[in-house]
Amino acid sequence: MKPLNLIALLLFIASTVWVLTLGETTVRSIQKTFYSVISPFIRGGATLETTAAEFIQEAEHSKIWEERYKLAKADLDQTRMEIAHLRKIEIENAELNKALSFKQNEPFQVLPAKIIRRQPSTWWQTVTINLGENNNIGVQLPVLSAEGLVGKIDTTSPNTSTVLLLTDESCQVSAKIDGTPEVGILSGIRGRTGESPLLRLNYLSKGASIEPGMMVYTTGRGGLFPEGILLGTIESYESGPLSGEALVKPAVDFKTLKIVFVKHTNPLDSPRLPEK
Amino acid sequence: MVQQYLPAIPSLYGARVLILPLVFLCSAVSVNFATMLVLAFICGFLWDAQHLLGEHGGDPDVYTHPVDSLRFGYSIILYAVMGLLMQSIQPLFKKGVWHISSLLAGLCIFLYLFAEYLIINFVRGDFTFPSVTFYRIYLTGAVTMLCSPIIFWIIFQLATYCRYTIEYHGLKKHPKYTNTCD
Repeated sequence: MKPLNLIALLLFIASTVWVLTLGETTVRSIQKTFYSVISPFIRGGATLETTAAEFIQEAEHSKIWEERYKLAKADLDQTRMEIAHLRKIEIENAELNKALSFKQNEPFQVLPAKIIRRQPSTWWQTVTINLGENNNIGVQLPVLSAEGLVGKIDTTSPNTSTVLLLTDESCQVSAKIDGTPEVGILSGIRGRTGESPLLRLNYLSKGASIEPGMMVYTTGRGGLFPEGILLGTIESYESGPLSGEALVKPAVDFKTLKIVFVKHTNPLDSPRLPEK
Repeated sequence: MVQQYLPAIPSLYGARVLILPLVFLCSAVSVNFATMLVLAFICGFLWDAQHLLGEHGGDPDVYTHPVDSLRFGYSIILYAVMGLLMQSIQPLFKKGVWHISSLLAGLCIFLYLFAEYLIINFVRGDFTFPSVTFYRIYLTGAVTMLCSPIIFWIIFQLATYCRYTIEYHGLKKHPKYTNTCD
């Protein structure tokens, strides 16, 4: 081998080993810088993609009416979700007052965001939304829709964010089955991302009485997702030698999803009441 | 940057034109070994910076079995392997047979995605290979290969503009002295 090629090969190996041993913080920092640089192009590409999609639909819908419909739909979805959450708080309030132990809930605030790009990566189930660090969006924040949980924020740039969808294998959610004491971990299934993606609910009790159609909600444990967000309904349950596993149909229709809500808590907006 | 303007095609099982790997493959066949390695490092680094997912986070007492993520930098190795494959047909490319390079670029994209999927399965366990995944890999390779003549044309134009001659040096060291006894 030529000396120059040998030196190049050794340098390449050394550099690759160095990159492979980088820590999580450094990697996130690199990704943040990368997305900051590429953010205008992501938005440009997303605009082009949206324009192309709207052009195809032009024959069926007037553009103006479509915009108005989108705005109205966003308002309606936001209102529906807030009402649903208020009802939940109302019930919770009644229960807590009944037990004479009042504990104030975390303020539940959401920011509406538009999905500007679908499936930016080959393998991961992700979408890009039009909110970023400039809108106080940070990583790991839960993303919701009027129907239920959508996923969580994975990476951010100044103007855009990547949302890891619930249908991805690496998005795990602590979940409970309504009407039962069963609690497990919900995640997507590798390869099941076609017309009807299903989710897998693991670590359930062996021989648990779980019926198809039962509702699955978030437990609020684990520090990532708030409690009581709808995840889906049980499709089937299978009891194994050590634990049970259920297939769950997601509550959210990910194919038609256009508007999502990023949940964030801002303690400054709603002063916290002292616990009694 | 151009990759951001190329969305996935839902009707083709989410296949897309992978412009960065394609540019790398087309360049790898026309440059020397050392430059190919530099390109592999840069492209792999950028690819992982864009596509790698972050850690799951959350309370480790609740999420006791988080799904393992891939190491940042694994793409660099895959790019280098693809580059080596492309360099193997450099003599043909030098003779002007770019069609083979074009076909091999499509094959390399297929192998790259297949290897990536195998690594995901290896890291996370529980091997599954649904037909949807196969079609996505196959169609991504095919649509990317269809775009390769455009990239080759651009490379040839750039080579002409910069007065760069594509030469085949190979990995072997040329002998300094030749035997003239015979």
